[in-house]
Amino acid sequence: MRRRHIKGIALAAAAAFALAACGGSDTASEDTMATEETTAVEEGADYSNLKVAVVYIGVPGDEGWTYQHEQGILQMESELGIEVTRLENIPEGAEATATFDQLARDGYNLIIGTSFGYMDPMLETAGKYPDACFQHASGYKTAENMGNFFGAMEEARYLSGIAAAKASPTGKLGYVAAFPIPEVIRGINAFTLGARSVNPDATVQVAWTSTWYDPAKEKEAAESLLAAGADVLAQHQDSTATGEAAKEAGAKWVGYNSDTMAAEFEGTWLTGPVWNWGPHYVEMAKAVAGGTCLTEPYYGTMADGMITLGVFGSDVDQETQDLIAEKAAAIIDGSLVPFTGPIKDNAGTERIAAGVSATLGELLGQDYFVEGVIGKTS
Amino acid sequence: MIVGGYRIELEPRLKSPRWLVYVVPVVSLLFAFVVAGIFLLGTGHNPFTTYGKLIDKGYTSYYGITDTLGLATPLICTGLAAAFAFRMNLFNIGEEGQMYLGMIGAAWAGIVLADNLPGVAAVPVVMLSGAAFGALWVLVPAVLRARLGTSEIVSTLLLNYVALNLVNFLIFGSRTLWRDPSPFPDGQLVADSARLDRFGTTNVYPTLLIAAILAVFLWLFMRFSNYGYETSVFADSPNTARYAGMSASRLTVSVLLSSGALAGLAGSMYVVGPAGKVDPGLLQVGLGYAGIVVAALARYNFVAVILTAVLFAGLRVGGAALQISSDPVPIAIATVIQGAVLLFALGGEMFRKNRLRVRRIAGSPVRGAA
Repeated sequence: MRRRHIKGIALAAAAAFALAACGGSDTASEDTMATEETTAVEEGADYSNLKVAVVYIGVPGDEGWTYQHEQGILQMESELGIEVTRLENIPEGAEATATFDQLARDGYNLIIGTSFGYMDPMLETAGKYPDACFQHASGYKTAENMGNFFGAMEEARYLSGIAAAKASPTGKLGYVAAFPIPEVIRGINAFTLGARSVNPDATVQVAWTSTWYDPAKEKEAAESLLAAGADVLAQHQDSTATGEAAKEAGAKWVGYNSDTMAAEFEGTWLTGPVWNWGPHYVEMAKAVAGGTCLTEPYYGTMADGMITLGVFGSDVDQETQDLIAEKAAAIIDGSLVPFTGPIKDNAGTERIAAGVSATLGELLGQDYFVEGVIGKTS
Repeated sequence: MIVGGYRIELEPRLKSPRWLVYVVPVVSLLFAFVVAGIFLLGTGHNPFTTYGKLIDKGYTSYYGITDTLGLATPLICTGLAAAFAFRMNLFNIGEEGQMYLGMIGAAWAGIVLADNLPGVAAVPVVMLSGAAFGALWVLVPAVLRARLGTSEIVSTLLLNYVALNLVNFLIFGSRTLWRDPSPFPDGQLVADSARLDRFGTTNVYPTLLIAAILAVFLWLFMRFSNYGYETSVFADSPNTARYAGMSASRLTVSVLLSSGALAGLAGSMYVVGPAGKVDPGLLQVGLGYAGIVVAALARYNFVAVILTAVLFAGLRVGGAALQISSDPVPIAIATVIQGAVLLFALGGEMFRKNRLRVRRIAGSPVRGAA
């Protein structure tokens, strides 16, 4: 799949860096000031003007969503030699405005928020503090000093669906789903398309939890799917509760967010779609260090490395691994686009015509289940 | 409790000496800081600099106190709601859910009614609508309590979960007027005329004044009105109240409805103030449950609720700010500090109301030390 958004400002910034370096070497002998500046730019290692803070909805110990962001932040710290301030357990909603205000007042010039509900508070603070750059994960609003970033998790979901269907003797898959919003629906659909690409009779039963992180509820939902006959479970929430339910029942599990639990769930773990935030974090920090703020919506893909498929468990045989590797390569070079028609919804209506691929806008607003999903989108 | 031949007892005080009213809270706070200090030392943080920062970021700096007052605004209302019911020995544990309903009701009025109203009327109507929704949410528990004696503790608590799921349904699970038409799960913004501006660059809204005035008004009203007198008689002795011809069910229902309306008002302040919509983020803050703590700390005194709400909000604001540092104090430790302060403040009450007596047990050696 092609890269959907060219990071215009990042490219412009890189070009500016290159030009500054060239210009600097021309005039170096004439002006000592210019020489000093040139040295700093050439080394490209002076990030002392960066003051970065990240606001987490949970704690990195969740082994899921926040954990993966923490890995990205760690990469940013080590590559740029900076220290990042972390704020954990900050509730979403209007009360978060005070938190973002405080960071901007304390002189942080790159402020990252990693949960959807921070969008309006960040937008509000961004308006008040134009000197700081705000970066919001998973939203859609931007401002002159606020960008957003997210990624095509559906690509890795599709691949994980292949692993799930191959590991399922019955073809009955279960999906412990968070909230009926496009991001989650898209993930379920991509998983289903992947599963049915290798087993056309496979079905995916959905159980909603209305939670992002509530291990007890999520385990309950997982158990209900197992009781209904599912032998492989996938999930969208940030906890490992679905994996625990699968493990107890001797079923298989497709995780999400991170693959650090693979060893602990040996015998249960198949694989899991994984976020790799680090490269984009480094990029947004470099932009701020260079005096710009990335404000183009950024939608990462498998091609640019933001989206990956995690390690395989021992129950995924070599043949399946090879097949998935082949499909992954096709997704990366653009020859395979999971949401390509003909695609019908689960009521039988054609949603994507034969040979047509869904646009990003359609994907971001997807509100129907594809054929093979058992459940309702509300 | 008997320890080594001494009997240690708590004896109710007939009269609390005046100095105790001031000494107990101070000593309680000191104890809390000592206990939390042990945690801080254990995790390698200097307790004194940590407390200094907590106080600065939560109370004494300009933006610290304004952020605290902003958070305290809805908390004053949920605190008043809890105190109002407690004063008649009714335990409304449902402020959380009534507050959500207040948010839903205020947003409904702000979306549907506000555009057809003259500008000055929009905010009052939106707030009253929120209060009405909050009151309606407690109607069934109130009637059940008045008619059948059903525990309002259980019924109001359970309705919190219903309200929580209702908000989730409106924002994540359905397409109603409360939800923004975009594919993203977001609340529909109310009309501009239904919003109030914050003061300058702070996070304080004029609703703070409404909350404070309401607290003073309730204090005066319950002190000097016939209604206030009836509720206090009923609280002291329901039988006396009945004998004097007061209607228990009328008082029960009206007190619980008023309590629900106050909690609903907290939710509507969120709509006319910072949120402007039904915001599922509110579900994560817990201001309704916190109101119960605030009311208990204030000993159910309406004016004192203002102070305890500010105390509580400052601990939250300052505690979160402790993470913004090159030597960050983890949020878990900040929560321990908050918990210690609240626990000791409530526990101190025991020593204000009771006297600690240590008596030698006459002629007995260490018998049955346990």
